[in-house]
Amino acid sequence: MFKDTFDKLCWASLAIVLIALLVLLGMNAGSEGKAASGLDKAVEREMAYHARVELIAKLYGPVDGLRKEGKNQEALLKLDELVRKYPGEAHGHILQGEILREMGALDEAVASYVAGVKLNGDYLDDKSPLSRRGDIQRLVDEGLKRIGARAAANPGNRTIAASLQKVNYLRSRLAGGCE
Amino acid sequence: MVRDRHFWIVVAAGLLLGGLGVLLAVWGNPENSGICVSCFIENSAGALGFQDNSRMQYLRPELIGFVLGSLASAVIFREFRSRGGSAPLPRLIAGMLLMIGCAVFIGCPIKLFLRLTAGDLTALAGVAGLVAGVWIGVRGLANGVEPGPADRGGRGEGLLIPAAFLFLLVLLFARPGFLVFSARGSAAQHAPLLISLAAGLLLGFIAQRSRFCITGSVRDIMLIGFRSYMLWGFLAFLVAAVGLSVVSGTFNPGFYGQPGAHLEHVWSFLGMALVGWVSVLIGGCPFRQLIKAGEGDADAGLVVVGMFIGGALVQSWGIAATAAGVSLYGKAAILVGFAVVAAGCLLFRERSV
Repeated sequence: MFKDTFDKLCWASLAIVLIALLVLLGMNAGSEGKAASGLDKAVEREMAYHARVELIAKLYGPVDGLRKEGKNQEALLKLDELVRKYPGEAHGHILQGEILREMGALDEAVASYVAGVKLNGDYLDDKSPLSRRGDIQRLVDEGLKRIGARAAANPGNRTIAASLQKVNYLRSRLAGGCE
Repeated sequence: MVRDRHFWIVVAAGLLLGGLGVLLAVWGNPENSGICVSCFIENSAGALGFQDNSRMQYLRPELIGFVLGSLASAVIFREFRSRGGSAPLPRLIAGMLLMIGCAVFIGCPIKLFLRLTAGDLTALAGVAGLVAGVWIGVRGLANGVEPGPADRGGRGEGLLIPAAFLFLLVLLFARPGFLVFSARGSAAQHAPLLISLAAGLLLGFIAQRSRFCITGSVRDIMLIGFRSYMLWGFLAFLVAAVGLSVVSGTFNPGFYGQPGAHLEHVWSFLGMALVGWVSVLIGGCPFRQLIKAGEGDADAGLVVVGMFIGGALVQSWGIAATAAGVSLYGKAAILVGFAVVAAGCLLFRERSV
């Protein structure tokens, strides 16, 4: 591979280009180069995420207010409206789940949490500011105990079986894994 | 058999693959996914910007280690041989189909057995599917289905994939702004970088020496039974994985509440059947394709490229299954995959008359 003039020209070109590349990268190695490129996607994404969390707090603020006043029925009606308005947003489902659980409607609470977690897995992450991992773990423990007992007592009941399946879905998501 | 050094290399490869498969999850990788080539490829495709699932983006060092470890072994033992030219485009498609099958099952054949050895009984459908797929593939080979021999050698094309992974290694350490790493989700779970890289290099090295892979083990057990070294490597894998799962407290037998698993057993079966069938036709599962690419096999390199394309598509098109089950697109993709492989078998069959 170093026989004739053409080979030598190719080697020389390769060496020159590699040196030029190293010089180019070396001269722009600082943070200035990164900022100028506008490509620091991680920072952009983190800013967008925090903006979203703030927007969620603002959007669902009235619901929190109603809950603090003990007006759970009104909070649920407001959430219905918000869920219809923002169908891709998980937070409404999670809040519905929290209220329904407080009201003792376990099966419905599980269904709401499942709908929320399917839309956004961040509610299961310890690291997320939206995390509800502890609540979901407690819901699963209670669901396995109560819904599991009902399912065992009524083996042919499809509604209870579907609720138990939802509890198992949350259990599987809490267990983690790659998906 | 036990006096043959190669036998012990195969057993060591099985032990390391099973052992590190569990340990990498203990050290930080997602549960039951200490080693999962398909998950790693989906993560890496995401990190490079090929798919935008913000929970599945991380340039997995293990993946880079597999290829570079294999390259190092092949160079040291003078087995690096640049070769290629056997049905390149079908191999690219085969790589995509491998990822579709893995994504619908949620895991590659290595993860299949890591899931099973951690007590995930939903993986049983996948085991049945993999065995069925390998059997169909073996029947296909016996009946003359053959992608064709490599018709070119000696050129530098076998260097391209190792060079590409060397470039990925540079990116991993340089962390340019265009790389995206998840801050949440399963891709945010990872073992320390240097440990992951070292594990990948070690596994790549020994896998190249031993030729060990899961699908190859199933195929060899079918063809030559107890005389196959692969059987013993496979048993070593199972012993190491079960033992370490029990010791590390991750062993949790049952069908329900398993990490990264769903209950649609028919689709788990079909997903792994597709992987088994394709793997036999192209000479190895996703892991083996990486190892072969590292030792200069440009055909395997094209499968790897196909796997990256497939890894991006399964996330972008919603083909990948989740704990909630398999999407309509996932089911359709599996059926399309079977149609493509069946048609390929008809086209690539050498008929005696």
